[in-house]
Amino acid sequence: MSENRSLLCDTATTLLRDATDIHALEEAGFATLLVGEADGGFGGDWGDVFAVLRIAGYEGFDLDIAGLILDPVPGDSLEQGAFAKVSLAAGALDRILEMSIDYVNTREQFGRPLAKFQAVQQSLAILAVEAAAVNSAGAGAALAFDHGDAAFEIAAAKMRTNQAIGIGTAIAHQAHGAIGFTQEYPLHPFTRRLNQWRMEFGNDRYWSEKLGAAVVDLGADGLWDEITRRSDRNTG
Amino acid sequence: MQSFAIHPFETPDTAADLRAQVRRIVSECEADWDATDRANSWSVADPAFSARLGDEGLVGMIWPKRYGGHERDPLERNIVLEELLAAGAPVGAHWIADRQTGPLLLRYGTEEQREKYLPGMAAGRAYACIGLSEPGAGSDLAGVKTTARKTDSGWIINGQKVWTTGAHIAHAILALVRTEPESERQAGLSQLLFDMDTPGVMVRPIINLAGQHDFNEVFFEDVEVPHDALVGEEGNGWRQVTAELALERSGPERYLSSYALLRYLIAEQGSDKAIQPLIGKLAAELWTLRQMSMSTAAKLAQGEDPAGEAAIVKDLGNSYEQQVPLAIQAVLDADFDMHDGSDLARTLTLLLQTAPSFSLRGGTREILRGIIARGLGLR
Ligand SMILES: Cc1cc2nc3c(=O)[nH]c(=O)nc-3n(C[C@H](O)[C@H](O)[C@H](O)COP(=O)(O)OP(=O)(O)OC[C@H]3O[C@@H](n4cnc5c(N)ncnc54)[C@H](O)[C@@H]3O)c2cc1C
Repeated sequence: MSENRSLLCDTATTLLRDATDIHALEEAGFATLLVGEADGGFGGDWGDVFAVLRIAGYEGFDLDIAGLILDPVPGDSLEQGAFAKVSLAAGALDRILEMSIDYVNTREQFGRPLAKFQAVQQSLAILAVEAAAVNSAGAGAALAFDHGDAAFEIAAAKMRTNQAIGIGTAIAHQAHGAIGFTQEYPLHPFTRRLNQWRMEFGNDRYWSEKLGAAVVDLGADGLWDEITRRSDRNTG
Repeated sequence: MQSFAIHPFETPDTAADLRAQVRRIVSECEADWDATDRANSWSVADPAFSARLGDEGLVGMIWPKRYGGHERDPLERNIVLEELLAAGAPVGAHWIADRQTGPLLLRYGTEEQREKYLPGMAAGRAYACIGLSEPGAGSDLAGVKTTARKTDSGWIINGQKVWTTGAHIAHAILALVRTEPESERQAGLSQLLFDMDTPGVMVRPIINLAGQHDFNEVFFEDVEVPHDALVGEEGNGWRQVTAELALERSGPERYLSSYALLRYLIAEQGSDKAIQPLIGKLAAELWTLRQMSMSTAAKLAQGEDPAGEAAIVKDLGNSYEQQVPLAIQAVLDADFDMHDGSDLARTLTLLLQTAPSFSLRGGTREILRGIIARGLGLR
């Protein structure tokens, strides 16, 4: 991670943990995250947007920071909204993974921590894999937005995120048992939001029909050409 | 916490040329490739094709020139591999030598071993096989019983390996054996590399459930090899093997081995609107896996150890590739004829049978998830 990005992440973590109104974030300059330095902005890229929104998802931040950052940015608002949900979900999935790990390491049944049971280990491994997929998809989509065309990547990333949310939230709840089903326990603010995000800015049906038709237009050989042509734009 | 460290894959300047080179070779050779072979590509051995890749400088790409290599960037190699796999090229003959045995020799081998084996491997003409599994040592590899007894003139090997892919075409085997008598579990194991035509080595085919001959039993009866068959340190076999296994987990072969099936689905059924959503979903998963695999390749190229990421990529890639034929089977029109001889019908028939092996070879799903769980601090 670049030095600028880690500074940005530190600031975001502090602010998002404590902020109760969006103005504090506006004052801190998040509204101009994508505005060039010459124009008085932060001069960030979409990887920075991903990093900040990922932290918002991880911290369970409830205000519309995605709107604050992205509303002024020209482009397809559905794609941008989907990108915001992917980024938030990347953080939220990592958070429920962490909560689940902590929980099964602490909670004891049959005389030992739940973490010692192989069935529990294996199901949390699946949650980790799904969270990893969303984090990778979000980072990949961010690079495509930097190139000004992320039509393929955002369709793929949002669809993959929706899939991961379905699998991941179920595992987190299963690992927590009944306590995770209570209003008091802080798991549901993450899992309920995650499940809501699956429907927002394109559910599976929307993106799979759209990407499926686009792939068929590319043709059997065209798909691989397109995937490689697009990622070869990332020259570092 | 971060479930996956992202390392950007910076496309090398030569990417376009390398892709064009592979695509040219493929277009010149592909007339002979059957659809079912393409859907099984790194298992299909074609010595002439491997030699051609060797001549084109596309085997042993990252090895030193003095051993016949080409000192290319690991990311350049990644590009060549993914192009070959996406095309369904028959890369099976040299695959293990290029991916595993060669790199292991560069890391642990003696100068003599490197000079003996690497040039032939880089030429795409010398193949290797991996002698790890035994009847009593599968997931629990520390149960290896094959012994090598040290004498004044060398080692005398007795025992048996099983599931040895390509042993019937390989020139050499890298075997994990017990070199310390009475040793137990991970201790006292070493790796020996020797020629398959050494007297006392016997290969017996095992035919898989689809009727293919890929793997074998390999028997050793008083096989005498010189002292310098030892690779690395005596007694350090366990550590070396673990490093070797990590090399084979996160590459593009973990999500592209049956890519041909998706191609045939698009070509033959793409116009069916009811199938397009599945095509979209499979493309999304493929794209995501590629991000993950490339990130892991980039981490490896920086000299870091991505053992956790590699286990994640293999587990997810295996699950994806196992799900593809089932998902396709589920959406095909009721009129679809599995016996019409089409490329789609034939590759689907094959993959429905062979897909279970994806989460066995190279470490089972349960073992991988155990590795991931350890990384999470659960064991
Ligand atoms: C196509 C193919 C090619 C292969 N090529 C090679 C090769 O070239 N060289 C080589 O050395 N080997 C090779 N293998 C062997 C492969 O490495 C083994 O199959 C694998 O390690 C599993 O061992 P096993 O088959 O004995 O299964 P077992 O270890 O008996 O496992 C059976 C089942 O039990 C599960 N299991 C085992 N232990 C545990 C545990 N502790 N916790 C939970 N579940 C567990 C496994 O995950 C699996 O689902 C190949 C296998 C295949 C299928």
